[in-house]
This record gives sequence, C-alpha cells and structure tokens, in this order.
Amino acid sequence: MSTESIYRDAMPALCSVRDALLDEITAIRKDMEEELGMDPIEHLLARIKSEESMREKCRRKGLPETAESALEKIYDAVGLRIVCAFVDDIYTIRDRLLTLPDVEPVEEKDYIRNVKPNGYRSYHIIIRYKKQHYAEIQMRTISMDTWAALEHHLKYKKDISGNTALITEELKRCADELASTDASMQTLRDMIRDL
Amino acid sequence: MKILIAEDTADLNRVVTVMLQHAGYEVDSVYDGEAALEQIDRNGYDAVILDIMMPRMDGITALKTIRAKGITVPVLLLTAKAEIDDRVNGLDAGADDYLPKPFAMKELLARVNAMTRRRIQYASRRLDLNGFSLDTETLALTARNTVRLSMKECELLQLFMQNPERDLGVPYILTHVWAGDGNADQDTVELYVRYLQRKLASTIAPAHMEGSRGKTYRLVLSEVETDDRT
Repeated sequence: MSTESIYRDAMPALCSVRDALLDEITAIRKDMEEELGMDPIEHLLARIKSEESMREKCRRKGLPETAESALEKIYDAVGLRIVCAFVDDIYTIRDRLLTLPDVEPVEEKDYIRNVKPNGYRSYHIIIRYKKQHYAEIQMRTISMDTWAALEHHLKYKKDISGNTALITEELKRCADELASTDASMQTLRDMIRDL
Repeated sequence: MKILIAEDTADLNRVVTVMLQHAGYEVDSVYDGEAALEQIDRNGYDAVILDIMMPRMDGITALKTIRAKGITVPVLLLTAKAEIDDRVNGLDAGADDYLPKPFAMKELLARVNAMTRRRIQYASRRLDLNGFSLDTETLALTARNTVRLSMKECELLQLFMQNPERDLGVPYILTHVWAGDGNADQDTVELYVRYLQRKLASTIAPAHMEGSRGKTYRLVLSEVETDDRT
C-alpha cells in the first residue's frame, strides 16, 4: 500500500482552482444581487473529493488508482454545489460562468430538462479551468436539493426491507410536485417583478 | 359492474334484478331508502336505481343523502307519477336520469347501460394532445418530464386541451373553471395561465400559452422538439 496521495502533489493546485471558482461565482452572485435586488444563491459549497472516495471511484470505473486517473480521467476532484431559490437563476449563473475566459465547458448534464426516471433534478456541468484542471459544478433549487437529500438517504436503506417500490414511486411524485411548486414560485417572482 | 336497486314492489324488484343479472350485472336489491343507504355505505356501486315512493325513506331523500356525502355514483330514479315536479325534484336532488312507470324492461336496461358507460369514460379521463398528456385523476402533466398540477391548474389545462388553438375569453374561463368562486377575476386567470406556461415548459411539452391579461388566452401547439438545450 502506497501512502502517497492519489493526487500526488496536485492538492495545492486543486485548492486554488476551488478557491478561484468560488471567487468567480461570488462575483457573479454580487452582480446578480444588484440586478435582482435579492441574492440568487442560498448555499454555495465547495470541496475536494476525499482521498478515499476518489480511490473508490477509480476502482468502480476500473481505472488504476493514480494521479492521472484522479486528475485527467475523473472530472470531479474539485466539486461545487450552488443552491438557488429560483430555477431561472441556475441558467443565468451557468451562462455567466461560461463567458469567463478561464472557464471552458467540457460536458453538460441537464437533469432539470431531462429529469431522471426516479425524479432527480439538478443541473451538472463539467468545466476545465485555465486549460488545466477539471471541476464539476452542480446547480439546483432548494426543493431539488431537499429532495436529493432524502433520496440519498433512501439509497443507503434500500437493502433493509419494506415496500421500497411504493416509496420510490412516492418520492418520484414528491419530486414532480416540488418541480411544480418551483415553477409556481418562479412565475410569482416574475409577476412581482412586472408590477 | 355492480348495481343497487331499491324498489318496494317485490315483483318489480325481482324482475328488474333478474333482467340486470341476465345482462351481466352484479345486483344487490333492497326494498326501502334506508336499506339503500346502508348498502351504499358498505359497498361501491357503478349505478343505483331508486324508486321514489318507498317506505321508511323515499328515493328523493335517499338521493339527497347520497349526494350530501359526496358520492357521485350515477343514479336513475323510477317515478310512479308522470308528474313534471317529481322529475324536476329528482334531477335537482342529483339524479342523472329518470324513468316514468310503467316502463319497458329494455328501456331500463338501455338507460343503465348508458349511465355506466358514461361513468367509465369519466373514470379513465386521460387527455392526450400533440405528444403530451394530462391525467385528471393524478393531476400529472407529462411530456418528456412530469409535474403534478394543482386542482385548478388541472381544470384550466383540461379546458385548453379540449379547445386547442382556440381563443378563450376570460369570462368563459371563469365560468368553466372558477364557477362559484366570487373572488376569482382576470388576475387569477392571468396568474394560472402563467403557471401553466411555466409547467408546460418544464415538462418540455410541445405547446405554450399565448394571450394577454383581461383578453383571451390560447393553447398553441408546436412541433415536437427533439434537440436539447445546450
């Protein structure tokens, strides 16, 4: 067993990518707050994927546990989560992020427009920062975040027992109801702004 | 299909019961209104036949009690007197149809068949239009994705789906969706149309709402989208 980090000596670089992205998003957030008259972001979280879960992900993907896998083959060593109050702000933040010269889009997964069969909604984008390090940015509304938290909890209980089919179906219904409420809230905000 | 018949004339009760059973219905028969209510509390029926003149509780009182409990089962009244007031009272009390005595058995059967047929159509109410659907029972609006609507949104969308590509005026919409709600006005309609617009968009339904506050609104259908937002 090697005691060397899977990121080898890249940890300081990953941390600075994380901090730079946080700064970029904070700047976008300030601009939007001035325009909207309200802070578009409820929570902003950033992390470097832990040693243990990165190694686990390499094994799951059948990749060698090397720095190359962790930095070049897997894209979420740096991860950010932006939780917004309103759906439209997700796309505004996304659009502004992509105008930045240091940010280059690699892959987009829009689970808001293409909802997963279980009801999961979230907007994921992988970007490359300064043509070097990758980062995954996940954006969702508060409702989507709440739902994902409960669904995650269920995943780990799945093996136990009980009517999981019913629970899965009901969770899907909750997701579709929350999405409906998100749409209503967005409509109300638009209407208030039109007044 | 299960039918309840309440008729105090034993011979008639038996003849109708046998005839309906012969036609493939499952039939429970009772001889007064109170017994009919007891049966309805215990069982679900696809149709109920009530005689008006019955001991212990008459058919109109039984019918009013059924409707007061919110039970929407189709009800056919048998009226002894061919009096107009009787029929009007019966229909006002919530009957779906009436049949004056004496009647031909085949007419009774035809009316029961018609009532239960309508019931099936109401029960499986799923509207499909241009690649999206509305389930009025689960309130699910489904295209690529699903959202669950509120009751009023569902009723409003149903109205538009039944009148696609047609201008509907605010008064027409208010009478059909908000009948009896004196607080609803053109702002209510405007807001709910906007809700629908958002929700249609979030399911990626190939349709959108057009119109302007206080005037008319229209459900506009578009070509089914295949490519994705990038």
